[in-house]
Amino acid sequence: MTASRRLLPWLLLTPALLIFAGLTLYPLGRTLALSLFATDYGFENAKFVGLENFQELWDSRFFRQAVTNTVVFTVVATVLEVAAGLGLALLLNRAFPGRTLVMTLLLAPFVLSTMVVTAIWRAWFHFDLGFLNNLLRAVGIPGVPWLFDPNLALWSIVLVDLWQTAPFAFLIIFAGLRLIPQDVYEAARVDGAGPWRRFRDMTLPLLAPYLFVAALLRSVDSFKLFDKVYAMTGGGPGQATETVSMFVYRQGFRFFDIGLASAAAVVMIVVAGLLAVVYAASLLKGAGR
Amino acid sequence: MIRIVAAFGLCALSLIPLLWMVATSLKPPAEYVSTSIALWPQDPTLAHYRVLLDSGMWRLGLNSVVVALGTVALSLLAGLPAAYALARFELPRRFDIVFLGFVLVIKLAPPIALAIPLYQVLRALGLLDTHLGLILANQILALPFAIWMLLGFVRDVPYSFEEAAMLDGAGFVKRLLQIVVPLLMPGLVATAVFVAIMSWNEFLFALLFIQTPSKFTLPAFIATLINEDETLWGRLSAMGLIASLPVLLAVGLVRRGLTREVSVDQH
Repeated sequence: MTASRRLLPWLLLTPALLIFAGLTLYPLGRTLALSLFATDYGFENAKFVGLENFQELWDSRFFRQAVTNTVVFTVVATVLEVAAGLGLALLLNRAFPGRTLVMTLLLAPFVLSTMVVTAIWRAWFHFDLGFLNNLLRAVGIPGVPWLFDPNLALWSIVLVDLWQTAPFAFLIIFAGLRLIPQDVYEAARVDGAGPWRRFRDMTLPLLAPYLFVAALLRSVDSFKLFDKVYAMTGGGPGQATETVSMFVYRQGFRFFDIGLASAAAVVMIVVAGLLAVVYAASLLKGAGR
Repeated sequence: MIRIVAAFGLCALSLIPLLWMVATSLKPPAEYVSTSIALWPQDPTLAHYRVLLDSGMWRLGLNSVVVALGTVALSLLAGLPAAYALARFELPRRFDIVFLGFVLVIKLAPPIALAIPLYQVLRALGLLDTHLGLILANQILALPFAIWMLLGFVRDVPYSFEEAAMLDGAGFVKRLLQIVVPLLMPGLVATAVFVAIMSWNEFLFALLFIQTPSKFTLPAFIATLINEDETLWGRLSAMGLIASLPVLLAVGLVRRGLTREVSVDQH
């Protein structure tokens, strides 16, 4: 009885552990190992080069551009999405007829396939016939080269990401807003605090953990940016929208420089691991509350 | 009052791109290859849908269904026992914490970072360019998600119910199937719907691991349509709408679950 009781949890964990071992741990180890070799596929005919791939990454203008773009995109998109999510949450916090309907409809962009989202917006961004430029021209403003201008293309993708994922930030922040006890506000109102002061001194500090989680989850996701860039600009014009994910894809699946691609993948895994530690710490803190 | 107008206004604004897709799928090409800003078609047509039907492109939807069902089945079959073990048993040396930490890292890791060795694993297994291979690859996203979500649901099932059954002499398997699973049903359904949406929308692995066009899932097919011709927007919109309807219907069903997932993340 006791022996089988001790074995039981391991038996239950076995399928998940097998999947993780074969499809995650092994690939993870293989990526780490491949990053130390010069190779165009596996370990046959591979030459051990130590950290040379990382040196090459460091020296690569393309990789540095991809990192810069990814960081800029992540920071700007995250800030805008959390701000929009907060605005929506405050707007929908008080009950009104039709609120459930509005909330359900607002979530629609978030559940669409990114490829469908990209299809719509790439058509909207079309210079000659796109809906956005048609609208601008209808009111007498010249068309904007949304995806052709290297200084604008990344911001156009930020706009799409904002439209698609602000609802997700809203969901998290709204959940937090619902948990703030109303008597806190009653007390503040009795003390004569105006709406701005109540927001700044009470709502914002009480919401901080939720804003943090929303920002963290959005950054993690923005940091992986691939689908939209792949189908909207292909990383262009020039290198203007190249991201780290696109860099790994290009080196690994187009140029077959597996060593270099793996080194870039290792950099991504390290960053994701650090973000996971921050997230885990915030979850543990939340559990202790 | 201002609040209500603003809420409905923002909602309408955010739905315009979707409305554009519906409308464009019903427009003859002359109406969308133009500088007009009219959203609604003057001369609606089902021609784009007919092209998709006649060319057999709708069959690609079946690929997406097969991959989604397989991904859901595997992630629940592996995820439910794992979540149960983590929620109910004392595991030695903080194994549960280590395991959950690992699950979290995988949940947050960029899929492209594992794509190269995964490609090599699938090729070695002879599963490249198969739906089974894609279902396995999807577990990287689906399994951590399923375990994380089911863990919260299992913890909500009171252990006392199982203890009562144990006194009645019910074995473990009987307990799991007759008490835990029925009580978990809403959680299982919510998890299944989320994993299905995730798989339905997944693009990167489908792009990398499926090469035969007739085996493409919908997002992979839509990506080729986007790049094929810059202004075939009618057909593209029709395909996009077909790909979106199932998830839009599902959202209506699981909106509460969405909030729930967020609160699970807060544990």
